[in-house]
Amino acid sequence: MANPSKKLAELVSRMPDPDDRGLYCTDIDKERIESAIAQIHKGGRKNILGIIDMLVEPGKGDDVKAHYALHVLGLHVCKLDDDGPRHQFAATLASELASDRPKAVQAYLIQELQAFGGKEVVETLGQLLDDEELCEPAAMALVAIGDGAAEQLRKALPRAKGKRLLAIVQNLGVVRDANSISGLKKALDNKDRDIRITAAWALANIGDVSSADLLLKMADKTDGWERIQATKACLVLAEKLAAAGDKSEAVNIYKHLRDTRTDPAEQYIRDAAKSALATAG
Amino acid sequence: MQKRKTVTRRQFIKGSIGAAAAFTIVPRHVLGGPGHTAASEMFGGALIGCGGRGNGTFGGLGPNVEKRAICDVKFVGRTDDKMIYTDFRRVLERKDIDVVAIATHPGWHALISIAAMEAGKDVLCEKPMTRFIAEGRAVVEAQNRYKRIFQLGTYGRFGQSKNKDSILTHKIMASGLLKSCKAAHIKPGGLKVRQWSGIVNATPQPIPPALDWDMYCGPAPLRPYHPHRFGGSHRGYWDYEGGGLADMGQHHFDPIQWKFAKDYTSPVEIEPYAPPAHPECCAMWGWVEMKYADGLTFVFESREWGEPYTRKQERGVSLDDLSEADRKKIEEMPDPEPLVKFPEAIRTRKRPGGHAEAAHRSATLLHLANIAIRTGRKLRYDPVAEEIIGDEYANRLVNQPMRAPWHL
Repeated sequence: MANPSKKLAELVSRMPDPDDRGLYCTDIDKERIESAIAQIHKGGRKNILGIIDMLVEPGKGDDVKAHYALHVLGLHVCKLDDDGPRHQFAATLASELASDRPKAVQAYLIQELQAFGGKEVVETLGQLLDDEELCEPAAMALVAIGDGAAEQLRKALPRAKGKRLLAIVQNLGVVRDANSISGLKKALDNKDRDIRITAAWALANIGDVSSADLLLKMADKTDGWERIQATKACLVLAEKLAAAGDKSEAVNIYKHLRDTRTDPAEQYIRDAAKSALATAG
Repeated sequence: MQKRKTVTRRQFIKGSIGAAAAFTIVPRHVLGGPGHTAASEMFGGALIGCGGRGNGTFGGLGPNVEKRAICDVKFVGRTDDKMIYTDFRRVLERKDIDVVAIATHPGWHALISIAAMEAGKDVLCEKPMTRFIAEGRAVVEAQNRYKRIFQLGTYGRFGQSKNKDSILTHKIMASGLLKSCKAAHIKPGGLKVRQWSGIVNATPQPIPPALDWDMYCGPAPLRPYHPHRFGGSHRGYWDYEGGGLADMGQHHFDPIQWKFAKDYTSPVEIEPYAPPAHPECCAMWGWVEMKYADGLTFVFESREWGEPYTRKQERGVSLDDLSEADRKKIEEMPDPEPLVKFPEAIRTRKRPGGHAEAAHRSATLLHLANIAIRTGRKLRYDPVAEEIIGDEYANRLVNQPMRAPWHL
């Protein structure tokens, strides 16, 4: 890694020192911090890279000030009227991903992109969906950004397994990607219970009417937590369908739940279905 | 012979509703003497989150709740699947649990509240109700979907609702007659800002063997373990809470929100005075001013950093703010109904005083304040759409991504 310029190092050194307990509570000078960051910003991409070069993995050195400075720089560029600086900030962070930088440092950069990134970085984040360690933060950053996230998640779905598959399935549900329905339906049969449950929720949140029978079957044949969650998926789907104007399918779901939940322990589901039927008309 | 299924308290009541009332409750004298609570009057309770607040929170469920399960991520190696658990999902599967008290870190409050209601349980949840705004709306939706009882574990509004001056303020504000409100309520200090700050230079430590750290982090990023992120000091981290403002803010402002009849709306302008925020750790701030559409102003003032808040003085509302004709209307208005406490709510199914919508709105106050602090920007908020207007990056903090498999 290149040595930071003396000027940059001096500006970063103006960030606060933690007190003796490690807290940012003493001598926190707002004007001093903001003035230093404004000057760092003037150095453009070179200074952003210089700060990134100062970052280390947790416990492997002291990067407290660089860590804070990078974030405050992100806050600074988001306050400007022109989106150009924010774009440059995000693009620069993204350029250091999928590199030989430590994974923990990359995870921090992804966290910053979750806060400050835009469509310009979604492709780079999408590539990280194949990375066991970085998939989770990358998926979270994608859904925070929103624009362009669905395509990246959908592309990664067929080759994902285990923890990565879980993260991708969930976030396809979060972004309500109707183009992923067939892939999500496959996940309903996954041997991992969390993946099955998450896929059911994702299909419900998308409001996919073609999933209604599958979800009802899942809710009927399972027990315990899976049954509770599959039933929730049915109710959520019914709400989405009713809101979208497909009352007849919503009514079918409610009637099914009303008529099949005969165990006294599930009286509350019957009641929920009956109440919803009364509203759905 | 068919095996008899265990009947819970709630099933018992439901089954009895259509039957003669005389058979609903077995008279005490039949079962034996004073002090004996009839089985039909007992609810099965579970405590999820057994830290410092746990027993106090469970006590809020009321005297007719029997503790049948305790659950905490620090019980690894002690679980017995009968009384002691580490996974709340196992607890919620139990048919003999009717009510849950939630005293985990706030990053889990909404998710477990929702899951409990999905499993047919009533909920008493510690404050702050949520970690971010969208969680609160999801809790309200679950409450409405499953017709469960949800009560927030802070009770100041109950006392406030019996105070004559507060009742008058509530009536004036609820009437809609006051078109331009000049009132300002300032909370000066007592928000534990320094006390609940996070360690910015923490060195990772080995995870204690009895702690399920992955489950502890839950929907938040899986960070390297450090003891300061666990126990009461978790309050110093955005991942789990929101500093002293989140810890104390809802205690203070929930009753004030009731007093000013703002249980169904939120401020529209939020302005911070604070140094740039740290990405992971809660730290210092000065004040946050929040204004409602009608002009009412709330202020969080830390008194622990920077210059004091001087823009406005504390001011209430009074009948003098109204015309004579309007004053008469207020005097003729009935007082608001008494607020229902949790033990009564779970028996009668009446909405409790600290219900989900009200709790969500008072939590929204502290979340908006923290979003303003974290972004360093003045914000405009749409209290109907529940979105920040014209600031995409601030809006990302309204509904934050969660680590799978946890989602709203």
